[in-house]
Amino acid sequence: MASSCSQALRHHVCKSSRILRVHLQKAWPNRSFVLNSAADQQPAVSSPVEEIVIPKKKTWSKEAVLQALASTVNRDPTASDYRFQDDPYLTPKTSSEFKLFSLSQESGRNAAKYFISTYPKYFQKDYAQPHIPCLMPETLEAQIEEVSEAALIERIQMRKVKAAVDLYDQLQQAGTPVSLDVTNQLLDLICFYGDCDPAQENVPEQRNEETEDVQDEPQTKKGRASKASDKLKAAWKENNNAERIFALLSEPNTHSYSALIRGMVKYGAYSKAFSTYTDLLNNQLKADVSTFNALITAAPEVKEKYNEKWELIVDLLKQMAEQKVKPNLLTLNAVLKALRRCGTVGKSQAFPVISEMRALSIDPSLASYNHLLSIFYKPGAPFQGQTDILQEVMNEVSGKSFTPQDPDDAQFFITAVRICLDTKDIEQAYRVHELLGVGENWRLLGNDFQQNIYHARFFSLLCMMENIDVVLKWYRDLVPSVYYPSSNVMRDLLQVLDTDNRLDLIPQIWKDLKQLGHGNRQTLVEELLTLMAREKQNQEVQETFAECALDIKKMYDTGDRGKVMMSWTAGSLSDLVSVLLAAQRRQDAWEILKLFKTHNRVPSEELLDKFLTCIKESGDVNQALELVQISAGFCLPGTPKLIQRVQQEFLLSEQQKSMLSDLEIQTFNSD
Amino acid sequence: MVFSADAITAPCAAGGSNALFCKNMATSLVRKTKLLSMVSSQLNSAACFRNIHCTAACLKNRAARIRVAKGDKPVTYEQAYHPHHIGHRKGWLSQHTSNLQGEDGAAERVVEDVFIRRFMYGTFHGCLADEVVIKRRGNLLLICAVMIQKLLPSKFYFLIGYTEELLSHFYKCPVKIEMQTVEEKVVYKYL
Repeated sequence: MASSCSQALRHHVCKSSRILRVHLQKAWPNRSFVLNSAADQQPAVSSPVEEIVIPKKKTWSKEAVLQALASTVNRDPTASDYRFQDDPYLTPKTSSEFKLFSLSQESGRNAAKYFISTYPKYFQKDYAQPHIPCLMPETLEAQIEEVSEAALIERIQMRKVKAAVDLYDQLQQAGTPVSLDVTNQLLDLICFYGDCDPAQENVPEQRNEETEDVQDEPQTKKGRASKASDKLKAAWKENNNAERIFALLSEPNTHSYSALIRGMVKYGAYSKAFSTYTDLLNNQLKADVSTFNALITAAPEVKEKYNEKWELIVDLLKQMAEQKVKPNLLTLNAVLKALRRCGTVGKSQAFPVISEMRALSIDPSLASYNHLLSIFYKPGAPFQGQTDILQEVMNEVSGKSFTPQDPDDAQFFITAVRICLDTKDIEQAYRVHELLGVGENWRLLGNDFQQNIYHARFFSLLCMMENIDVVLKWYRDLVPSVYYPSSNVMRDLLQVLDTDNRLDLIPQIWKDLKQLGHGNRQTLVEELLTLMAREKQNQEVQETFAECALDIKKMYDTGDRGKVMMSWTAGSLSDLVSVLLAAQRRQDAWEILKLFKTHNRVPSEELLDKFLTCIKESGDVNQALELVQISAGFCLPGTPKLIQRVQQEFLLSEQQKSMLSDLEIQTFNSD
Repeated sequence: MVFSADAITAPCAAGGSNALFCKNMATSLVRKTKLLSMVSSQLNSAACFRNIHCTAACLKNRAARIRVAKGDKPVTYEQAYHPHHIGHRKGWLSQHTSNLQGEDGAAERVVEDVFIRRFMYGTFHGCLADEVVIKRRGNLLLICAVMIQKLLPSKFYFLIGYTEELLSHFYKCPVKIEMQTVEEKVVYKYL
C-alpha cells in the first residue's frame, strides 16, 4: 500500500510538474533546461490510471529460516559425524570404532525404550503443547481382549502376525463372519512378513555385528552381513497360513490375490505365484499394478533362456495393457531389473522400454538408472565403447534432486562409482560426486556401510588418476570425517606419493596410519620402510624419516592388549638401519643391528658395507671390529672383504691386527 | 524470668518485724517487673520476632561454601567460589528464561533441574568432574557435562543414548547431552 501511495504521489507530482513546465515553457522558451532534466525523468506511463500488480503472498514453511541458515554452512572437514560428541576422547578414529560407538549409542536408546515400555505409568504426564505422540510410551500389548473383529484389526496394526492369525482362527470357529477387507488386511500382513513375527529390529543383527573381529577388513564384513540377512529371510513354506486363509475365502477379490502373489514372489515361491495368477485369470478377475510388478520381478526366475524371459515379460505387459492397468515407476524398475538377467536381450531392449515409459509420463528414478548401468556395465566384463552410456546417464541426472521412490535408489551411487573405477573415468566420477551435493541426494547414499564402499572406490580412483596435490586435497577433505580408509587404500596413497616424488610426506601419513589403526599391518609398514630407505633425501627430510623409523620400531615392540604382533624380516630391519644411518644416527643403528641376532635374521652385505663406511666417518675402531665379528658370526661370504677394508682403512693396534688376522684365517678355513 | 511471688509474699505474711525487709523486697520486685514489661514490649515490636521454627535450619551463610581446612582438600573452581560470586566470578549452572519479568514456570524448572542433576550423578556415577550445566533453548533441554575419562567411550555412548532417550520421554521435549572429557578432575586450589 505504501508503494501504491508513493506511486500515486509521484504521478501527481509528475503531473503537476508537467503542467508547471508547460506554463514555464510558454513563459521562458529558452530556459527550461533545469526543469527539463527533472521533469523529463518521468516513468514511461502514458495512461493516467496504472495497473498495480500486487504479488501473491508467499507462505513460508516453519523450517524455512532454519533451512536458509543451513544452506550457508558447509560440512566441516575437521569434525566427526553429527552423532558423536565433540571431544577427542569420544571421537571415533577408525571405522570399527565408528561402528562400535554408534551401535552402543543405539543400544543405550533401546535400553531406555525397554524401561519406558515396561513402566509406562511413569511417562504418562504430558507437558508438551502441542502434543508430541512419539515421546509418549507406546503400548506393546494389545488392549482389546475379546474375540472380535476390532481386536483383529488392532493386532494387524501392531504387526503381531501369529496373534492375528490365532485370533482369526478363533473368530472362524466361533462362526463370526470376518469382512473381506479385514481378511485382506490380514493376508497383507501375513504375506509381507512371510508368516513369522517381525523380529525386533535391533537385537539379533547387533549381536551378529558386534561379535565380529575388530581387525577385519570392511570387505569381509560385507560378505558376512549379506549372509546373515539371507539367513534371516524365511522361505515360503508349503500350506502356510496365508494359503490356508486364502482357501477359506469364499470370494477372493483382486486385493486378496495381489497379497498372495506378492508374498509368494517376495519369499521365493515363483512358480506358485504364476499359478496363482492363472487362477486369478480363470476367475475373471483383474490384477492390479503391484501384482504385475511382482510377476515381472519373478519372470526371470521361472524361465531359463534370455529370449523366453523377455517374452514372458512382454506377455505380462501386454496383459497389463489389456486389463487397462496403468504401469507406474515400480513397473519400469521391475522390467529393468529383470532385463539385467537377460544378457544381450537386455542391452537391446533397455532403451526402448525407457522411452515407452517416458511416453506414459513415467520418469525414471535413480533406481532405473542404476539398473540401466548394471545392464550395460557388468562387473568384471571388458568394455567396448560403452563409456558413452555413463556419460549420457550423468547428463540426464546432473543437477537434479531426487527423492527416494524405490529401495534400489540407494545402489545408484555405488554402481556409478564402480563403473568409473573400472573404466578409469575421473571426469564422470567428479560429476557423480557433485550430484551427491545437490539438494536431498545425500540421503540416497545408503547406510554407513554403503557410504564406506562409495568413498573407498572414489578415493582409489583419485589415487589412480590424479596427482598428489589433488589427492591430498581430497584426502584432507574426506579423511577421517567422512571416510576411514582401509589399508589397501592407504597403500594406493603411498604409491601416489612415490609416483609424484613426495616421499617427504611419509611421516605425516604414518601418523595418520597409526591413528586409523593400521599401524600394525605388516605389509603396509614394510612398504613404508622400503620407501623411506630407497633413496637418500636432504637433511631435514632424513631427520624426520629417522624419527618416523624409530616410531615404527616401537610398533614392533609393543604387543599390549592383544594387538596383532608384527615380526621383523631381514628386509625391514635392513631398511630401518639404512634410514638411521642416512640420518647419521649411528648409535640407534647399532642397537638395531644387534636385533638381527635376537630375531634370527641375516643382514645383507651391502648393509654391513654401508655401516662400515659410516663407522669410518666417525673413526671408532672398536665398533668396526665388532662389526667384523658380527659379520663373521653370521658366516657371511663378504666377511673377508670387510676384514680387508678394516685393515686398510683403520689404524689398528697390534692386538687388533692379530685378532683380525685370526678372524681372516677362520673365515678362510670355513669357506 | 518467672518471679515466684509466693516466695516473696510469704515472709511478708510472716510478721511485722520483717516489714522493712518486705518493703525493700517489694520495691525491688516492682523495679524488676517494670524492667520485664519494658523488655517484653521491646521484644514484641516488629524488629525481633522469634517464631516457632518447623523446618530444618537452612543456613544461607553456610550453603555451597567449602570451608578452609588443612590444605589437602582439592577443590574445583566451581566449589572454590561462594554463591555471592555468581555473576561476578562464576556463571550460572542453570539457564532458562522463567526468571524474567512476566514469565512463569520457574518452580517447575527448578524441580526439573534437581531431578536431572540427581539423574546424571547416578547414571554417570563417579564420572562427573564438575557440576552439570543445564541450558534450555526453546523446546530443547541441553545438558552439558564434563566427565572424567573413567569409562570406555563405547560405555559413555551407551549411557548418553540411554539418558537422552529416557529424559526425552520423561519431559516430553528433546534432550541433548553435550559432553566433554578430562583426564582427571581439574583442581583449582587446595583448601
